[in-house]
Amino acid sequence: MAQRATMPMILALAICTLGFATLIFVQEATSPPLIYGAYYAGTLFALYLAVRLWLPNSDVLILPLVTMLTGIGLVMIFRLTYNVPDAEGLAITQAVWIFGGSGALLFTVLLFRNYHRLFDYKYLFAFAAIFLICLTFTPLGYEVNGARLWVQVGPINFQPSEFARIALIIFFAGYLAEKRDLLAATSRTIAGIQFPNLKYFGPVALVWAASLGLLVFEKDLGSSLLFFAIPLLMLYVATGRIAYVILGSIMFAVGSTVAYFLFSHVQVRVRAWLDPWQDPDGEGFQILQSLFNIADGGLTGTGLGAGFAQTIPEVQTDFIFSAIASELGLLGATAVLLAFLVFVYRGIKISLMATDDSSKLLAYGLTTMFAIQTLVIIAGITKAIPLTGITLPFVSYGGSSIIGNFIIAGILLVISEKAGQKERGEPTYDYERGTA
Amino acid sequence: MNRHVRRTFYLFALGFVALVGVLAYWQVYASESLANDPENSLQTRRAIEAPRGFIFAGDGETVLAQSEEQPAEGGQNPTYSRIYPQGPLYAGIVGYWSTRYGATGIEIAENANLSGTADPATLDELINQMSGGPQPGNNIVLTLDHELQQIATEAIENSNTGRGSLMALDPQTGEILALASVPSYDPNNIDENFPSLLEDPDEPLLNRATQGLYSPGSVFKVVTAAAALKSGVEPSDRFVDSGVYEQPGYTVVNYDDGVYGAVNFAQALALSINTIFAEVAVEEIETGTITETSQDFGYGDEFEDFPLLVNPSRIGEGNVAQIAFGQDTNVSNVFEMALVAAAIGNDGAMMEPRLVREIRSPDGVIINRSQPSERNQVLEPEVANTLQDMMVGVIEEGTATVAQRPGVEIAGKTGTAEVPPNDPNSWFIASAPADEPEIAVAAMIENGGDGEEQGLPVAMAVIDAYLETGQEPETEDFPELGPDGLPEDLPEGLPQELPEDLPQVQPGGLPESIPEGLPPEIQEFFNQNQ
Repeated sequence: MAQRATMPMILALAICTLGFATLIFVQEATSPPLIYGAYYAGTLFALYLAVRLWLPNSDVLILPLVTMLTGIGLVMIFRLTYNVPDAEGLAITQAVWIFGGSGALLFTVLLFRNYHRLFDYKYLFAFAAIFLICLTFTPLGYEVNGARLWVQVGPINFQPSEFARIALIIFFAGYLAEKRDLLAATSRTIAGIQFPNLKYFGPVALVWAASLGLLVFEKDLGSSLLFFAIPLLMLYVATGRIAYVILGSIMFAVGSTVAYFLFSHVQVRVRAWLDPWQDPDGEGFQILQSLFNIADGGLTGTGLGAGFAQTIPEVQTDFIFSAIASELGLLGATAVLLAFLVFVYRGIKISLMATDDSSKLLAYGLTTMFAIQTLVIIAGITKAIPLTGITLPFVSYGGSSIIGNFIIAGILLVISEKAGQKERGEPTYDYERGTA
Repeated sequence: MNRHVRRTFYLFALGFVALVGVLAYWQVYASESLANDPENSLQTRRAIEAPRGFIFAGDGETVLAQSEEQPAEGGQNPTYSRIYPQGPLYAGIVGYWSTRYGATGIEIAENANLSGTADPATLDELINQMSGGPQPGNNIVLTLDHELQQIATEAIENSNTGRGSLMALDPQTGEILALASVPSYDPNNIDENFPSLLEDPDEPLLNRATQGLYSPGSVFKVVTAAAALKSGVEPSDRFVDSGVYEQPGYTVVNYDDGVYGAVNFAQALALSINTIFAEVAVEEIETGTITETSQDFGYGDEFEDFPLLVNPSRIGEGNVAQIAFGQDTNVSNVFEMALVAAAIGNDGAMMEPRLVREIRSPDGVIINRSQPSERNQVLEPEVANTLQDMMVGVIEEGTATVAQRPGVEIAGKTGTAEVPPNDPNSWFIASAPADEPEIAVAAMIENGGDGEEQGLPVAMAVIDAYLETGQEPETEDFPELGPDGLPEDLPEGLPQELPEDLPQVQPGGLPESIPEGLPPEIQEFFNQNQ
């Protein structure tokens, strides 16, 4: 059992080692990639052992997948910033973030083994989420590339929305689990459309609208999309009523149209999506460079280090998948996509196996966020949909994103531990009844 | 609840499949059109990130093209630009390499080798290619003789019009020794000069030697003579020239209206008598044989294996009598005519013309060396030798007596191709030494006038240089010797007399005494022979 569980981890580390070894050949840089590689492998393997020790019944694939995705990200970030002035230290910073993320994951696992307590404070989480988003409007917040997403507290810069998302999902999971029956029941019908009792639906709509509205004014399209879609899907799963999804889609269509006419930055994104060639050196530059690099990769890719993904501005964050597609080709990019899909599958499986509604909804919400984030950013850089600035989970450069995603992985692990314990027949504490 | 969770998972899975589809669209289906998109600079970046291979002249030392590293701009990989140290001298052969205007010549013909995208030949290259790093290209060594190329180019430049072309090759191996086209252009900074070069009326971008097409005039008579010999005409067959050869609708006259009377066929070639060649072509040679023979010599062939673009020489519909002496629809160039001279000199066997001798890896390992190969047997050896003897007659007693060289028998043919209203093109083809030629040359000076006046000196300059370079240094380079076996006058600064204190040498060639301390064997040998 232990061997079967450890094998994927060893494979994941081997993939990353191969990546770093290739970089030695390509960049003719001897020690730095080796040091990153060894340091990275050590951190992740220690994390893996600790989790195996503390959560022996938890999901065995989550950490190997996290290892593989962060490892591929680190290799790409190192490769993309090597010898680039002003960006040379990014790989080291990312390695530090991964270290921090590992710490956050351990912290989550240790502190929230009895994660059901979180749901007792669900309203606090809702306020915390809105507070975090509001922080960017205070003097602490500042703008980068036209979007006011950043907050500086002392020496630490972070994107509050990355953490607000998690807090919001905890709130929705707790609240919806408690009120799902009431929300599913129809209280009144207006013009043939059935509406739930406003008393129970009110808090959901309020939090939802508040966070969404704030993000729209932050000009954070990617987060707005996530904040819109995730509560909607959680509501659908909790109540089983497709009407919520249909209603939500209509609202999305109306909201998008209004946003398009209201905000110039939305218009820019849509124009660049419809025809990037009309302004190839301006609005369309980033997406065109992304497409050229993806096309340059072909079926098998240019080979690690032989692509030209540095032509894409900000390639190490939102556009890192373009670099992967360019250098590893369709085959490599598909393999990475499969790794994401397996992560989603494991997250959904954890949700299915969870023993109580709130755990199910929490695992589902977090997995949904992971899935939508991945789909939206990759569809964006391939010009399938307009571009929205969000990171590729675990792979993109960025401290807030890395730490946030490690926390998500940690929560998924503790939920799976509970389900695993039950499956093995070990006594578990039933939080809903309050008896052992 | 689980049912709905599953449903959304299927939705996500569908989304991932769609993404793979979108990626496949860009990376496979639309890959090429995006690569060629005018906004896409990736291919250019790739091309300039690796040093291209060197191109060397035949000596393996004279650099014709090299890549020079440019200082890298922040964070980028270093880039390389192409330098042509010989400037216009080799432009027609080496070509240019531009990220804007494409490439020509050896630069494009051997691009796979030069750019390092050819199959790996050494372990280093294999490792390099596997890891995907920018790879230096292979080096190309051409067959060209640097000295001959210079002499040929200078000779054309010094001709009366300064426009023309020349090709020299080794008839036995097919290696091209010189390939000159004047005026040429400087392939350095081609990006800036290209538009003005395109509009230059002298057409410097045209490689006249291989791509130009001109009436060959009387040099083509050797092809007609070959056809005649194949048809049973003997060099000794007698013909009478009355100065005109009447043809329905056209009358052939001799150049400068000469009248030669009774001559044999060999003399007709030596004196380049148009009327007799017209008569032979019409009356002695079967219809189609001249065209057929010319095709055996390479007419109509694009020489696809040859690295440079060759515009095939051709004979169109026209007057056979005039085609026989290289006028009317008969057009050719020095590339073709040099091959004609070479094949006749090489017992009728035409060797495949070669411009690339070796391909070497960046560390000098020979990856590929071209071997002489026979293109085809154009003429029976006896026919070829007969024709070669007739061409010797051109030099010995015909129109090209100025090409006579002491000690070396030369076979040749002049040509004065009329291109009214301009002055005629001046042609000369030759091979030497005649019995087993080491070099065959064709030269043509545009609007130069008589063949022997402009084309001949240019061709002979190359032959003179080549046959001398192949020999020991001439004795006349040494100072005159006096009676005592010493030079009469030595360069200043050297002692002008023998030192007086030289040891006296005995008749046996041994000195009277030898210094002490020499090895015992020498001491013993000395004592025995004393």
